[in-house]
Amino acid sequence: MKKILLVDDDVDFVEATKLILESKSYNVVTAYSGKEGIEKVKSENPDLIVLDVMMPKPDGYEVCAKLKADPELCNIPIILLTAVVSKISSTGYTKEMGMRIEADDYIDKPVEPSELVKSIERLI
Amino acid sequence: MGIKLLVIDDEQIIRDGCTRILSKEGYDVTTAEGGEQGLEIIHKQRPDIVLLDMKMPGISGLEVLGRINQLKIDVTVIVITGYATVETAVDAMKEGAYDFISKPFNPDQLRLVVKRAVEKRRLEQEAKMLLKDITNEKSRMRTIIYCMADGVLVTNMKGELVLYNPAASRMLAIADNSAPGKPIRELIRHKEIVEMIEKQISSINSSLSSIYKEVSVNKNTVLRVHIAPVRGELGELLGFVSVLQDISQLRAMDQMKSDFVAMVCHQLRSPLSTVIQQIGAILTGVVEKEKEKEMLIKVKERIRDLISLINNLLDISKIEAGLAIQHKELLRLDEILKETIEFLKPQAEEKKIEMEVFIESNLPSIDGDRECIKEVFLNLIGNAINYTPQDGKIKVDAIKEGECLKVNVADTGIGIPKEDIPRIFDKFYRVRTDKTQKIRGSGLGLSIVKGIIEAHLGSIHVESKPDKGTTFTLFLPASINPNI
Repeated sequence: MKKILLVDDDVDFVEATKLILESKSYNVVTAYSGKEGIEKVKSENPDLIVLDVMMPKPDGYEVCAKLKADPELCNIPIILLTAVVSKISSTGYTKEMGMRIEADDYIDKPVEPSELVKSIERLI
Repeated sequence: MGIKLLVIDDEQIIRDGCTRILSKEGYDVTTAEGGEQGLEIIHKQRPDIVLLDMKMPGISGLEVLGRINQLKIDVTVIVITGYATVETAVDAMKEGAYDFISKPFNPDQLRLVVKRAVEKRRLEQEAKMLLKDITNEKSRMRTIIYCMADGVLVTNMKGELVLYNPAASRMLAIADNSAPGKPIRELIRHKEIVEMIEKQISSINSSLSSIYKEVSVNKNTVLRVHIAPVRGELGELLGFVSVLQDISQLRAMDQMKSDFVAMVCHQLRSPLSTVIQQIGAILTGVVEKEKEKEMLIKVKERIRDLISLINNLLDISKIEAGLAIQHKELLRLDEILKETIEFLKPQAEEKKIEMEVFIESNLPSIDGDRECIKEVFLNLIGNAINYTPQDGKIKVDAIKEGECLKVNVADTGIGIPKEDIPRIFDKFYRVRTDKTQKIRGSGLGLSIVKGIIEAHLGSIHVESKPDKGTTFTLFLPASINPNI
């Protein structure tokens, strides 16, 4: 069974998403902050990471950059979840920014459960 | 006309004749018999025009002319020459005489020669005034350019800087002692601007129009550079004037606005996306029956939070538009405080928090909007309850201090970390620690409170110690209307 690490500071979102993913036969472990996320990557060794961008520092982008820079962990596919409209913000929270940071996929919130599942299936 | 004439001639007939004829013309005429007397009168009375006989006993006319020149005063000399002696006239002109009239002369000739001299003086005066005007105008222009807040640079067709003002010097860090006339490449460090100007100079079509461009000169400064051609009288190109406008503030404001919009987007979309996820999960049937109800309750809470957020956003936009105060009236703080505390009592009792209120007697009223002031205390006291654990204590007191009312809202709650205090009134700012994880809020409450208090011309301050508690102090000006 494939293991997915779900990182998001919104407890309810994590709970609902976990239920959905588990129903698709994935093993889900959770983290509620960037810091916890990095710890869990090392301890749980997931097959894929679903990472929310808008969290208090370290935010999703920082976590993604850190993981991709680590030679041992850079091969784990990462899906970034963004909740901000790409065009408006220039503070770096954009889909384009996600591209530069080299995540493996990025999905805008609100995320259609089926879309998330499809993306996961494509990557692992 | 007030023009003073002096006639120096040894012949009385000439003196009398001139006096008679010229007085009739309105001139003020004085006479002298000889050179010495004449010079004395010149020295004392400063005539405008002197009629000088060249052939006199004693000191000669030419010598008198020489002495007049030495005086260095503004006098026009007309020499009276003897019988047809052109040489004398020429010598006199060389010595600085303006004109000559030869004896014998008739009244018309006399009047004419004097009139010419008067006209010459008038033209000289006019020229002097014009020159003064131009100098004034020039210095006025210079003063204007020097005082402008925008930077001004004038370059000639050789790319040399011929004029710049203090504002330009500041914006581009031009060294203080740079003499004008140096090439701009040497004086201005910002390549983009130098290139812009040089391009205009060398471009064939540059004479057609002015151009502008926004240039970043350093991390915090953005300038709008506007370059226009300077032409001479015949339309020929003399150089270029560049005007530099500092638009850094405008840019910063734009940035803040788009940051705010991005934040709002996120704050609205995030809970909505969670709610969709939760409902999606229920509809897909992956949620156990017992957990469904729990989840739906959470959905309801989230939606309530969203509604509250939207209301807060509307408040903020009203405050920013200066429309915070919709309806002003005389308000009694003791009434409003009592009302608010009654309303929040159930929440406080749930956490076993003790509420203490002290309102000074005869507290003056304030001029304000009732709904706004209610909101302020609802927010402050509500926060105190939310951020104070079980068995805590909240104390609200209101006293008169000077011309103001001073209200303290103090709690024994978890407090605010030192590094968060400067930002506590910022929009969307929320303290994120383990202790605050469970507390719900939009991060707009204090921003709204501050906005309302300031719209009422008051001020708000905060003091806090982590784990010891927080005290918010606000000042509101007392109403100038007498207490009812």
